[in-house]
Amino acid sequence: MIGLVDGNNFFVSCERVFNRKLVGRPVAVLSNNDGCCVSRSNEFKALGIPMGTPYFQLKSREASGELSFCSSNYELYGDMSRRIVSILREEAVDVEQYSIDEAFITPPSPEALENIEEETSPSLSSTPRSPYLAYGRRLRSKILRWVGIPCGVGFATTKTLAKLANHMAKKQPDGVFLMPDDPTEILAGLPTGEVWGVGRRLPAKLRAERIITAQQLRDAPDATIRAIGGVTLLRTAMELRGIPCCEEKDYNAAPDTVSCSRSFGTPATTLDALEESMASFAAQAATKLRRHGLLASCCNIYAQVFASGGGGDLVGRTVAFPTPTDATNEMLRAFRPEIAALFTPGLRYRKTGVIFFGLEKPGTPRQMDLFDSQSLDTNSRSPSPLYKAVDALNARYGKGKIFSAAEGIGPRSWQMKRSKLSKRPTTRWDELLTVR
Amino acid sequence: MSTKAKVSGSVVAGFPSPAEQYLEPPLDLNELLVKRPAATYFVRVEGDSMSGAGISDGDLLVVDRSLRPANGDVIIASVDGEFTVKTLRLGNGERGMGNGKRRMGNGAEIRLEPANPKYPVITLKQGQELDYFGKVTACIHLFADKR
Repeated sequence: MIGLVDGNNFFVSCERVFNRKLVGRPVAVLSNNDGCCVSRSNEFKALGIPMGTPYFQLKSREASGELSFCSSNYELYGDMSRRIVSILREEAVDVEQYSIDEAFITPPSPEALENIEEETSPSLSSTPRSPYLAYGRRLRSKILRWVGIPCGVGFATTKTLAKLANHMAKKQPDGVFLMPDDPTEILAGLPTGEVWGVGRRLPAKLRAERIITAQQLRDAPDATIRAIGGVTLLRTAMELRGIPCCEEKDYNAAPDTVSCSRSFGTPATTLDALEESMASFAAQAATKLRRHGLLASCCNIYAQVFASGGGGDLVGRTVAFPTPTDATNEMLRAFRPEIAALFTPGLRYRKTGVIFFGLEKPGTPRQMDLFDSQSLDTNSRSPSPLYKAVDALNARYGKGKIFSAAEGIGPRSWQMKRSKLSKRPTTRWDELLTVR
Repeated sequence: MSTKAKVSGSVVAGFPSPAEQYLEPPLDLNELLVKRPAATYFVRVEGDSMSGAGISDGDLLVVDRSLRPANGDVIIASVDGEFTVKTLRLGNGERGMGNGKRRMGNGAEIRLEPANPKYPVITLKQGQELDYFGKVTACIHLFADKR
C-alpha cells in the first residue's frame, strides 16, 4: 500500500497559521515577483478565479477589500514542509518527499495498524472500517494539530493510483480516501488530464483515439498507448492497472547541473544589474554545489531580453574554469569578464541565470594542464576552505551576511519583488510572531 | 585485516584522562525546552498583560501546539485575528478540548484571563469559538540585548 499526503492549498494554509485574519477569506499566494496566483484558498477558488491569473488583473478587487494576497514566503513554507515530513517519518515505515507539499508514504502493515487503532480510538462509529482510513485520519489530525496545516491523504496500490486517491480525498469530509480494490468506477469518472504524468499535451492526442477517461486509458491496448505517449505513458497505464512501475527517485543522487536564475522585479537596463545579479545567482548556486560536495568545471551564464507578452531572446555564453572548483571567487573571476559581451545598451532584460555543469567529486583523476600553475597546487581541486568558512558563517548568522562585493552593495533593483511578504516566524529570531 | 587491540581516546602522549570513561554529552537546552520540534513554535511577548505570571515585555515563549489546553493553562490564542497570551479559564463543565479539536464552543463559558489588573478579562461570547494556537510550556527572559 502507498499513501500520498499533501497539504491543502499549502502556501495559503501556511500563511493562515500565523495570520488568522486570512481564515475564511478569499486569499491567494503570488508567484515570484508577485506575478500570478499560485496557491488559492477554497474561498478564492469559489469565486472562479483560475490558477495563474495575473495579479495586476485583480488589484482593484484587492483594493476594494474583496481579495487578499501574499507574496511567496518560501522560507516559511520550507520550514512547515519540514515539520510535516518529520511527523510522517515518525508515523510511516518509509517517506519519499515528492515536492514541498507532497510526500509518498509506506504505511505500517494492516496488522500493526489494527493494534494502534484499538489503543487510540476504541469506538469509531459510522465511518467505514479500514485500518488505512483510520490511520489516514490520525495522520491528518496530528499534522493539523501539531503544524496547523490541513492535509489530504489518499491510499492505493501504486503511486499513480495514490495520486488519484488523494484527488478524491479532497472531496471527502474527513480528507481521507482509500482506492477500492476495483477502482473502475472511480477511474471512469476522471478525465485523463487528472492522471499523474499525463500532462497537458497528451489528453488531446488521447481524445483522438477516443480515450477520454482514466479508465479508458487503463484499458487501452498497449500498442495504442505506446504510439501516443511512448513507454512513459505505458508505465502510467500499468500503474492504473495496479502494477507498480514508478521508479523511486533517488533524491540523494549527485545532480548533473546546479543552477540559479530569477526574473527581476523590474526589467534591468544596466550592465551593473546584469553583473550583480549573475554574481549573486552564482554565489547561491555555488553554495548548493558545496552542499553536494561537488566541484564544477564549467558554467553557462545567460540573460533573457524583456519582451511584452513573455518570451524574449536569450543570450548566453559558456565559460570553462581553469580547474574544477567550488570557490565562488574563482568562478566570478572566470565568467565576469564575459558578461559585458552579453549586454546591449538600450535593451531591457527580464532575467539572468547561472548554470554549473561538468560536476565532479573532489579528487577525480584528470589530465593536468601543462600551462596552468594551479594544477600543480595540490589544493586546487579540493573543496575551498575559505568558502567552507563562508557557508558556516552564513548558516550561523543568516543568509547573505558574507557575500562577494561583485553582488553589489547598493539597493538591488534587480531583486525579486515580494511586496506583500509575510514574516518568517519559524526561521528568523527577529521576525517572530508577537503576542500581546 | 589484522586483529588489533581497541584504542580509545586520542591521547598522543601523557596520561589518559581519568574522566574519559565518564564522558557524557553536554546539556542541551533544546532537550529541556523543545520536546516536539515539529509542533514547537517560538513567539515574542509584547506588553505587560501577563506580568503577574512572570511573563514580561520582550520575553520569548516556547509554544507547543500538540498539547491540548486545560483549565488554568497559559495559552496562545487568536482573538479577532490578533494573537494573545492569557490564562485559559473554563466554566460550565467544559474541561478541555476533545480529540483533534482546535476550537471549542457549544455553550460553555470560555475566559482568557490576563495576569495584570490593568487589562480586562476576555470573555468569549455565547457560541464564539476559541481559536487556539498552542500551549505555553516555557518563558525565556533574557536580561539584556533582547532583540
